[in-house]
Amino acid sequence: MPTITLPPRCDRAAAEALLPEMVAGIGSGVLHINARDCTQIGQAMLQLLVSARRTGDGAVIEPSDHLRETARQLGLEAELFDGVAA
Amino acid sequence: MNAEEIQAIFFAECEESLAAAESGLAACKAGTQDSDTVNAVFRAVHSIKGGAGAFGYVALQAFTHTFETLLSDVREGAVPITEPLVDLLLRALDTLSDHVGAARGLGEVPDDVGLLAELTAAQAANAGAAPAPAAPAPAPVAAAPVAPAVEEEGGSDPFDFDAMLDDITGAMGAPEPEPAPAPAPAWLLKVRPHAGAMRNGGEPLLLLRELTALGARCIECDCGSVPPLDTLDPGTGYLGWTFSLEADVSEASAREIFEFVGDDCGLAVGSDAPMPTVRPAPVPVPVAAPAAPSPAAAAAAPAPTNAPPAPPALGQSIRIELGKLDKLIDAVGELVIAQAMMAQRLAGDGLAVKEELTILEGLTRDIQESAMSIRAQPIGSVFSRVPRILRELTATTGKHVRLEVSGESTELDKTVIERLGEPLTHLIRNAVDHGIESAETRIAAGKPAEGTLTLSAEHRSGRILIRIADDGAGINRDRVFAKAVEKGLIAADAQLSKEEIDHLIFAPGFSTAQQVSNISGRGVGMDVVRQNVKELGGRITIDSEPGTGTTFTLTLPLTLAISDGMVVNVGDQTLVVPLANVVESLRPTKEEVQGLGAHRAMINVRGKFIPVLPLHAAVGAQGAIEQAHEGVLIVVETEGAGRAALLVDAICDQRQVVIKSLDTHYRSVEGVSGATILGDGMVALIVDVDSLVARSLSGHSLAEAA
Repeated sequence: MPTITLPPRCDRAAAEALLPEMVAGIGSGVLHINARDCTQIGQAMLQLLVSARRTGDGAVIEPSDHLRETARQLGLEAELFDGVAA
Repeated sequence: MNAEEIQAIFFAECEESLAAAESGLAACKAGTQDSDTVNAVFRAVHSIKGGAGAFGYVALQAFTHTFETLLSDVREGAVPITEPLVDLLLRALDTLSDHVGAARGLGEVPDDVGLLAELTAAQAANAGAAPAPAAPAPAPVAAAPVAPAVEEEGGSDPFDFDAMLDDITGAMGAPEPEPAPAPAPAWLLKVRPHAGAMRNGGEPLLLLRELTALGARCIECDCGSVPPLDTLDPGTGYLGWTFSLEADVSEASAREIFEFVGDDCGLAVGSDAPMPTVRPAPVPVPVAAPAAPSPAAAAAAPAPTNAPPAPPALGQSIRIELGKLDKLIDAVGELVIAQAMMAQRLAGDGLAVKEELTILEGLTRDIQESAMSIRAQPIGSVFSRVPRILRELTATTGKHVRLEVSGESTELDKTVIERLGEPLTHLIRNAVDHGIESAETRIAAGKPAEGTLTLSAEHRSGRILIRIADDGAGINRDRVFAKAVEKGLIAADAQLSKEEIDHLIFAPGFSTAQQVSNISGRGVGMDVVRQNVKELGGRITIDSEPGTGTTFTLTLPLTLAISDGMVVNVGDQTLVVPLANVVESLRPTKEEVQGLGAHRAMINVRGKFIPVLPLHAAVGAQGAIEQAHEGVLIVVETEGAGRAALLVDAICDQRQVVIKSLDTHYRSVEGVSGATILGDGMVALIVDVDSLVARSLSGHSLAEAA
């Protein structure tokens, strides 16, 4: 299972940089995304994560507290983490 | 642009924000308490807070946060606007200004503990639903997480909005300040940030977090438009959110959050309204396009080449380094000289190119005026500091003073504005300390208990007139006279006119204050004021009426670089008399000039005798006309010595002169305010009429004061 690790700062630049990597990884099964270091997240990365979850076999995201809290506040908790043991 | 430059912009914007907040609060105090005014104050404080967070000014950010929280409640009507509240807000603004100063390294971080408590108390007391102990929470919470957040970033990027956002959410999320006071019917707001909101480092989540700070709760996120990874464009906004807001949050306040991004963020209100649709990011366009977004310019392009240029878009501005402007002004000065030289040369060669020369002269003047207008700033930036001075004076003297300001949009040179602050402060302090009486005295004299200070500015014939008027007791001439005698400034039996007595207060070391206070009365004030005004090429006059008040009038040049002057011949010298001093010129008959004593002469001008001063005597010119009726008399107005008539041989010209400082090129000379270069390349001295007349009339009692 390919693993992609997110940087602490997940802004638009990070999303743009990780997109090709994710596209490459998504073809080979469930994508594992390690977001345990994420301390900041922007909309670009959020929708990238949503897209990753909805593409191919989907993705498993391991969130940091910050990411989980942000997702909770923005109504994305179920979309991003359901079916995954955090 | 590096971090320091960005920081400099931040501080410049802080100044603007502070001024905006000040004028907003002043309007509130005056009775204009509509939502626009309160909003303006809120926005000003809010933008300072934003920058403070981004640059890691913890104390500044913590203070603005509490300040802003209270303002936010005021804006929403939760806290009523009362007079004590406005006073509190004004004090908070003063402290905020000190905080900004401290952040700039211009002073100590002010002690704001008491004030913060007052601010939170004001909010808690009025918010009703919010329990008192909960209220103080936001301040420390806001302050605390900042430092670690900055450290986490390793300080690598001081301009970090994301970190700031996170801090704000942290602060907002933790206390959950409003636990739904009443089950009012909520309303729905649908938000879909578009590509534009994410461009250039913009972050829509910031706005959503501000929305949450208003009490909005996200009830749904629409992910339906998010495409699979291979067709995803990170620059497009795919997510849409539906927020539920309490009924007491106005639609306007929610919309205001998204004001910055404009239509880069789709908004829809109400449960029936459809979620705004996804707008794909525009295909990358050639670089030139976004740089010139003005459609007017594009429209003008295909038009014939001699079509008028597209009108400049309103409200657009750039910041320029002052040094560059100074160079421009210098160059314009040289242009004026070169133009004068050419005119003189052509005239000397008998070439009749009058028309072209006139055009050139007109253009030169246009360029000069445009260059000057670039440096011009509204005097409001100086006036806006006055309310604070008055508040501080009220606190120390107990005198309540109402401020009336007019003409604050009058523009004058930036250098003049900068150097005007100090004399103006002195004059205002003097007016309040000496001029305006205590409330009891005022009431006894049949005046309103509250004093009035009037500040006004206006343009008048190429100069600017600034008036500082109080409705106080006026100058006590007997006391001034007695004090001057006591200080040995004048003889006890001197005969002085009212105006002359008034002007004694400008003498160095003069003070009539019975008590030396820390505000004024040390006798270093007024002569310094006059010196400052003089250095600016200006004059100061007093108009005082016992019982009704005193008015100080400052007459200042619009610029320090170029002025209008009358070029005169005196014997073997050419001199320039500043036009600002000139009242009229005349050729007297022999009978009009009356001898006075051995060497003096007087002339009757419109029923008033004024002294005739031969200019050649003052400057030591050779071969000049000695008799008044053979030459020309220029009647000049001076600040301290009234009118006088300067005797010159002839008036050659009236033109713009570029002022070159004698101080920098030679040394300061009494009676000469500067020099200029004439069309023939010769240097002509610019006469300092005030000091020259005062000196020529020496023996006269005013000589000491000059």
